[in-house]
Amino acid sequence: MSGYLRQVKAIIWKDFITELKTRELFSSMFVFALLVMLIFIFSINLSLVKANQVGPGVLWVAILFAGTLGLNRSFALEKENGCLQGLMLAPVDRSAIFFGKMLSNLIFLSIMEAFLLPVFMIFFNVEVWSHLGPLVAVLLMGTIGFSALGTLLSSLSSNLKTREIMLPILLYPLMVPVVIAAVRLTGQILDGKSLADMMNWVGLILCFDIIYIGVSIMTIDHILEE
Amino acid sequence: MSDASQETDSPGYGLLGLAGAGVLAALVAIFIYVPTEKTEGVVQRIMYFHVPSAWIAFFAFFIVFLCSILFLWKKEREWDIYAHASAEVGILFCTLVLITGPLWAKPIWGVWWVWDARLTSTLVLWLIYVAYLMLRAQSEPGSTGARYAAVIGIVGFLDIPLIHFSVLWWRTFHPDPKFITSQGLGAGNDLSMNITLMIALGAFTLLYFLLMSLRVQLERMKDEIDRIKKERLYSH
Repeated sequence: MSGYLRQVKAIIWKDFITELKTRELFSSMFVFALLVMLIFIFSINLSLVKANQVGPGVLWVAILFAGTLGLNRSFALEKENGCLQGLMLAPVDRSAIFFGKMLSNLIFLSIMEAFLLPVFMIFFNVEVWSHLGPLVAVLLMGTIGFSALGTLLSSLSSNLKTREIMLPILLYPLMVPVVIAAVRLTGQILDGKSLADMMNWVGLILCFDIIYIGVSIMTIDHILEE
Repeated sequence: MSDASQETDSPGYGLLGLAGAGVLAALVAIFIYVPTEKTEGVVQRIMYFHVPSAWIAFFAFFIVFLCSILFLWKKEREWDIYAHASAEVGILFCTLVLITGPLWAKPIWGVWWVWDARLTSTLVLWLIYVAYLMLRAQSEPGSTGARYAAVIGIVGFLDIPLIHFSVLWWRTFHPDPKFITSQGLGAGNDLSMNITLMIALGAFTLLYFLLMSLRVQLERMKDEIDRIKKERLYSH
């Protein structure tokens, strides 16, 4: 098992080194998320609606859109110079490749969210610090689901001719439960309610996370074939 | 050549006749036999198209799910064909649900569309399987595209309960299902309405199998043409 973990770690580390060298993924994701937020702020009149009501939706849309950029890059990068071929030739389990890519996507997204949250707080003028614990928990749960399903679909769409278009078309309808649950939870938390009152939503996101990590492990062998 | 055409199944005339008779019987039941509903009036008759379409759409997507699993397991082209055909027919019926729904809602609720649980989940379902068919159109023919489609067929169906609960807790206006209630089958409706609904459901099911068999046949013909083309190509 320790060998397996080492393999996963090696793949994550590889993604990190690539990112540290190029620095193109993180900056583009973060700037894109900012722009999405900005466009939403222009399109809604913040003097008419409560920031607590629209803010969570805007935050999650920004995360989703920026995350899709990251996911598109995640496997497109591997396609260049036949890196994926190399990964598949390496004596590692296919699920280790999946976990490595999923965790590196998760980490990149979490870092981006860490930068995005203060901006969100300033732009929407909402109080975040007092609810930081549950908020981080919700962000993490939602992002795990997003990166699990997203990594699976990204590994699949990277082989298509129109990969940049097909990934969101496949991913967004499937992400509906997590988006609804995460937006609801974030809104309630910002309104000062505790997570314990909304365990059905928490359960829903956790179910999603578990189901899609499980399905990914079972089906990744069929996607990364050849 | 004549051997090749005989290899594919003969068009299911039996099924065609059965489905035709079923649809005819359903039309007679819907427009002549069943009395007009008291409060909603004549527009309520759209239910006999709406509800069976919804059931068949779900059934079709369930078949996609089963055939996708079987395809990944056995790697036989047959299951891929069934999944593909069922998804297309399912989209057809799902589209019918989404068209008849607003037509029914407008006179009764006063609006075309409300963001209610069942409506929303049907729309999301439609989007998932449209994406599934787009994926099939995008990927190259052969086992790679079939494997990808099978993964989406599985992932998509597993999402249905999650979507259902998320939009259910989100909001609900749609009337509870009238046919299957906690009091037992058909307790919410008049007997003649239940009979008509059952006839309509039977007719739609037959129609589903008819369309399926036609679509499967078409796909087999395509395979056959590809095979013959290749033979000719390499023989010269």
